[in-house]
Amino acid sequence: MISRVMPLLQSVEMPGADLPGMARTEIVLIGIAYFVVVAAIGAWATRRTRNAQDFYVAGHGIGLFALTLAAMSATLSGFAFIGGPGLVFSVGLGAMLIILPASITNALGAWVLAKRLRLLREVREEVMTIPDAIGMRFRSPAAQGLSGLAILIAVIGYMATNVLALGVVIDALFGIGLGWGVWLGTAVVVGYSVAGGILAGIYADVFQGTLMAVASVLVFLFVLDAGGGLSGISTTILQNDPGFMSPWGHLTPLAAISFFFVFGYGSLGQPHVVHKFYMLRDPARLKWYPLLVTAALILATLLYFGVGVAVKALVTSGEMSPLSNPDEATPRFLLEYTPRILAGIVFSSVAAAIMSTVNSFLNIGAAAVTHDLPVAFGRRLRDELFAGRIATLVISLAAAVTAQFSGQLVAFLGIFGWGLFASTLVPALALGLNWTGATREGAVASIGTGLVLTLALETLSFFGVWSFPAGVTASAVTLVLSILVFLAVSAATRGGPGSEIDEDIRLIMEV
Amino acid sequence: MKRLALGGILLSALLLAAAYGLAFLPEVAPRLAPSLLALGTAGALAGTLVLAAQRDGRLGILWVPVVFIVLVVGGGMVALILLPPVDPADPTLVLGLPPGAALLMYGVGLLPTLVVPVAYALTFDRLTLSSEDLERVREAGRRRRSEAEATGSGSPPGGGGVETGGPEGSGGPP
Repeated sequence: MISRVMPLLQSVEMPGADLPGMARTEIVLIGIAYFVVVAAIGAWATRRTRNAQDFYVAGHGIGLFALTLAAMSATLSGFAFIGGPGLVFSVGLGAMLIILPASITNALGAWVLAKRLRLLREVREEVMTIPDAIGMRFRSPAAQGLSGLAILIAVIGYMATNVLALGVVIDALFGIGLGWGVWLGTAVVVGYSVAGGILAGIYADVFQGTLMAVASVLVFLFVLDAGGGLSGISTTILQNDPGFMSPWGHLTPLAAISFFFVFGYGSLGQPHVVHKFYMLRDPARLKWYPLLVTAALILATLLYFGVGVAVKALVTSGEMSPLSNPDEATPRFLLEYTPRILAGIVFSSVAAAIMSTVNSFLNIGAAAVTHDLPVAFGRRLRDELFAGRIATLVISLAAAVTAQFSGQLVAFLGIFGWGLFASTLVPALALGLNWTGATREGAVASIGTGLVLTLALETLSFFGVWSFPAGVTASAVTLVLSILVFLAVSAATRGGPGSEIDEDIRLIMEV
Repeated sequence: MKRLALGGILLSALLLAAAYGLAFLPEVAPRLAPSLLALGTAGALAGTLVLAAQRDGRLGILWVPVVFIVLVVGGGMVALILLPPVDPADPTLVLGLPPGAALLMYGVGLLPTLVVPVAYALTFDRLTLSSEDLERVREAGRRRRSEAEATGSGSPPGGGGVETGGPEGSGGPP
């Protein structure tokens, strides 16, 4: 079973390259309309992007509604619509432990990070990136540079897999071939990301997030109808595959709970999501953020659960022919059980989910190249807006070219993104911003530990040299180790010069 | 309170490490490793919440979501580990799901939505960010900017991750 799970997780960001074609007139028209709206938002945002602050942090001027939908859209990639339902179909309810922590972690993130990061912006107007926050907290260019490097490595992996996924979806939508799908998708997302930066991304996310949530709810209603309600679905599956409906599905309990740990606690170190806290206009509006974003995520992930279990029941009962690969679950259900218009909206939502995630990655990747790494080396760039646009373009082209050489390399790159963010950033960022006893040495050591161990262990695992037993991912283990290193090194170096904190930073850590 | 939170996080990390270590010995205690993992995960989440939410060593009413997380995540998952396997002959369904799946989906998954984010919203003005807190921070920001203008550096002290002391860096803003 474990050997079945890992390839499925590799498809987390990369829907199978053989999705059934969706090119029908209604679906194509909806897809075109979607891209026109995104292009219009990009054009509007471009006129409002005048400096690096606009480009990287939307001029610190977005409202609660925009923050909620942008955070939700950045959290959900195409995995929520394609890979996730496929994973549920394959391994059962154990796959739900990837998304269930959201009911706790959004509020936890608000307590741990949202207030601190947003208040940091009040005392340090120049703050733009998550490595900025780490650098300011620990007065350390080294910590800022190392965290920027970790982000850049993870972004490269995520970008290649997401761009490939976008190509697959566009090919399925318009039937133009995978290669052209990759380049068309890249062109659209680059168009609005280069010109409008995160400002375009945020307002595209408002549109895309709304689309995702609405589409997910509608599909769930069709799921209940097709399967005879949740009870009907459960009864059908229980008669043939009772293990599927156990809490861990076909996973080991250790692997399933590991998902909860990595995707729950690890959410405190996802820079493409948490850096959006800088952008909120009024910090007092954070009050309702956790409730709103949690509700939005629950709605948007109804499809993840519903399609996974419904297709399992339909295939089990013989009403649907067997799938050739798990990623077919969503497209097959849409084509066979929903109206074409809804199928078009959902597939546009998949493209939307991927594009909003890609935009967020592009933004933080470009910031790492043009801001965090130069600051670490003491050579801040003069025109960060221009440099950011060039970096965005270069990263996009590199990702598109890498996606053309798809297969093993892209799958490998996509595996460790979330885990690398978690193991390198959670201790220094989430604990560091809340514990005045943490030290610069602890931060640097934990980021280095996460970076080296995650890359080493994931490489060994991917090439089949060595992997953890019971389906445990290396990222889970390295997250634990980087936390322990952070605590131990901070305790050992406490009282030294690396313990010093600027007064304004201490204030935002204490309020 | 901070010491308690840090102790909880450390203990949780050690439980998690032990759980992953026991993964190499699955035949020794098949239910022990996932139970330690569940308790470690709950402890890490709750400990980090306490570390972030406490003010001057006090947590106030926020002990409710903390205890809730420990009970629902830690207790709920350990209960799931101890449950017997699903019996296909048993027709009992709870809100459309077998009991174990229902506990996972509705208990561990959905129930916290009604407690944790709601607790955040209801206590926000009093325990998380009051208007007085915000004004103190804004005043600190204004003071810092005026100091920067007075020194004519154009770059406030300590900005942009710039080294301002200690052995790592050059000892001052650019």
